[in-house]
Amino acid sequence: MAVRTRAYEADAAAAAALDTRLAGIGTWLFLAADLFFFVAWWFAFFYLRALNNHQDWKAQGIGPPSKGYGAIVLVLALATAITYFLGSRQATMAFLFRLLTPVALVLGIATCLFQGYEMWHLGFGLTEGGYPSVFSGLSGAWVIQFALATAWLASIVTQTGPAGDTIVRRQPAASFAWILLYLAAIGLVNYFLLYVVA
Amino acid sequence: MVVSERRLSLPNNPITGIVLAIPGYFAGVWLGTLFGLDDDQNTGIILGYLFATAAFLIGIGFLNYPLERLFGWQVTPVTDPAENTGIGRFFRLSLDHKVIGIQYLVTILIMLLFGGIGAMLIRTSLLVPDSTITPPGNYISLIGLHAVMMIFITSAVIVGPFGNYLVPLMIGARRMAFPRLEALSFWVVPPAAVILAAATFWGGFPTGWTGYPPLSVQAGQGMDSYIVGFALIAVALVTSGINMLATIIGLRAPGMTWTRLPMFVWGIFTTSILGLLAAPVLAAALIMLAMDRTVNTSFFLASNGGSNYLWENLFWFFGHPEVYIFILPAFGIIMEIVPHFARKPLWGYRTGVVGLFGVALLSWFVWQHHLFVSGIAPVLRPFYMLSTELISIPTGIIFLVVLGTLWRARVWFTVPMLFCMGFLFNFLIGGISGVYLSDVPTDVTLHGSYFSMAHFHYTIMGGEIFALMAAAYYWLPKMTGKMLSPTIGRIHFWWMFIAFNSTFFPLFIVGLLNMPRRVAAYNPDLVGLNRWVTISAYFLFGSMLVFAGNLIYSWFFVARPAVANPWHARSLEWQVPTPVPAANFDRVPVIVAGPYEYGIPNARPVADLGGIVGATGGG
Repeated sequence: MAVRTRAYEADAAAAAALDTRLAGIGTWLFLAADLFFFVAWWFAFFYLRALNNHQDWKAQGIGPPSKGYGAIVLVLALATAITYFLGSRQATMAFLFRLLTPVALVLGIATCLFQGYEMWHLGFGLTEGGYPSVFSGLSGAWVIQFALATAWLASIVTQTGPAGDTIVRRQPAASFAWILLYLAAIGLVNYFLLYVVA
Repeated sequence: MVVSERRLSLPNNPITGIVLAIPGYFAGVWLGTLFGLDDDQNTGIILGYLFATAAFLIGIGFLNYPLERLFGWQVTPVTDPAENTGIGRFFRLSLDHKVIGIQYLVTILIMLLFGGIGAMLIRTSLLVPDSTITPPGNYISLIGLHAVMMIFITSAVIVGPFGNYLVPLMIGARRMAFPRLEALSFWVVPPAAVILAAATFWGGFPTGWTGYPPLSVQAGQGMDSYIVGFALIAVALVTSGINMLATIIGLRAPGMTWTRLPMFVWGIFTTSILGLLAAPVLAAALIMLAMDRTVNTSFFLASNGGSNYLWENLFWFFGHPEVYIFILPAFGIIMEIVPHFARKPLWGYRTGVVGLFGVALLSWFVWQHHLFVSGIAPVLRPFYMLSTELISIPTGIIFLVVLGTLWRARVWFTVPMLFCMGFLFNFLIGGISGVYLSDVPTDVTLHGSYFSMAHFHYTIMGGEIFALMAAAYYWLPKMTGKMLSPTIGRIHFWWMFIAFNSTFFPLFIVGLLNMPRRVAAYNPDLVGLNRWVTISAYFLFGSMLVFAGNLIYSWFFVARPAVANPWHARSLEWQVPTPVPAANFDRVPVIVAGPYEYGIPNARPVADLGGIVGATGGG
């Protein structure tokens, strides 16, 4: 039996609807998995903080880096996510989408650069107790994910040509907004824990 | 911006992958040596493994898609399965779920051979009570390698080959939801196995599969293999989980309602939920461990603000759902196969599904029973004891569903059915012995003994591997187009069943006589029992060779072609021709009946397949 049909459905509209559905399901499943990843880090935060072994959660003279600097990173991350979200609600051919997506990309790159700079200038060594360990691990894991998301965002921008993937398959591009929003929300929680609660 | 027609022109195959992986490894080691904070090479080795894996995946072709996107080139469409023919398709990146299923099957069987050889070496050491055959340091490394290798294998041994191959067929889909993710979930397994095996070059790792700090922080470079190998398996579990769940949720054929879903698919569904959510926790814990070993953070070192209990909690939060990741697909297999050979409807379909979900749900609330002997707060013990005991209820429900199906049935005792019966017998012993270990007083006594070891081998090998064999004899004719010899299959079953029980049942006794696990030397009074077990273990290994012999004999010497539906089963995968067409179904089928309506007068065929192939009615 020769089966040559490439698409799941011969009907293009049905295939597009299926694409939308799968992109949505896949996104939410990924977010669920990734949430558990960060929950493990938050658990480490609360566990080590509550245990405070040898009073070494935060040794003498160890404290959070500049709250203001952390806030800048957070605002940039939120701005990236919100900008892309607003753009992605538009049709992918619309002017607003083409304007806001590159802006989101620039903001995303700035977020990664600022967070990276902060991590090179923490003001404490990684070996100096529980808090420095959790700070470096949690912030590092977050910024790596944000960097990967930004790289994907770049690919969305480069695929906005007439036959580009962003245009041909617009729903995955729209679903991606939820991943950026989620990462920004994780950044918000991290900020609250690492700069306020700690 | 105009999308370019350009393509990446790297030849994508495993040879390219290996060629790239070697310099990738040395680049990682060089970088690690350049920036590493210590002089024990851990940073370099971990980066080396990661770079080698990334380079291997690039060689296979996984970077093509993201790079083509990033460069603004035209994205390569999903390969048309019909164009993907010939033996070569099994040796390169394929997005066809059937090819990936076969790739998984062969890889896992090879890994199983190595894991089995490890077990034989362990048992050989125990022929004498004084660790003269294997020195204690080597013995514990051997235990660790065998254990982690087998954990790798048993995580993927059903979901990988059978889940990938069969789930789309069973739900009436023509493909998986995310074929690239599916392929990635397979292609990280070979590097994970090689990296784990590489631990032997560094003297192995002394922690067993649980990797407890502070030993794992202080151990030699073999521990780095454990970290990266296990992390890659976590990646495989997450990617496989996303793909399986999205496929089952989003690609079911019209009429394939949740109450018509085959039980095997429910088993894959529930296990995928566990893998999806548990593996990220392991990944986070492994990153913390890697940081402790490379940049000297203090997640797990009590002397510097950390705690080894943090690892124990995170590890077992993954580790206990993990054991249900093994067994839920096995439950699915048993509930799938038994009604077909009992020629009766599955007794209590919805109850069985509830049982699967009950096990999956409760598995999140039991992990601290692994900490009963390592200093858990006494006030927590009763809760975890009760939650662990509670899990026997949904497990019992699943047994009840199977026994209810067998009740007054005229059973067709085929080879798959024999293995199902073997599963029921073995898992009953494994499950009941588990109840003893869930009770704090007995667990405190038995936890470090061979009793515990016998328990989990009864559940994993007696349970999952017997279910695997049932699945192999049942579905391999569909997957390979060749029938396996039933005569050799029967010999295989009885040989394996007797040898398995002869190997593992005496271990309950040596455990009750206080023989500690993970220790090469033991009380000389127990040498008789241990020699019995070792000789039985050789026979058990021999039974696996019978299975391998059956595969070779049936595929290459007799090559009896399988008909489309040799078992006269109703479920959808048997309604398509053998070999399965490239796109599975000519058009998306419409499901009109459940898969277990045997013996029901005038039962409708399971699906309207458009008249291409006939569906089997009840009977």
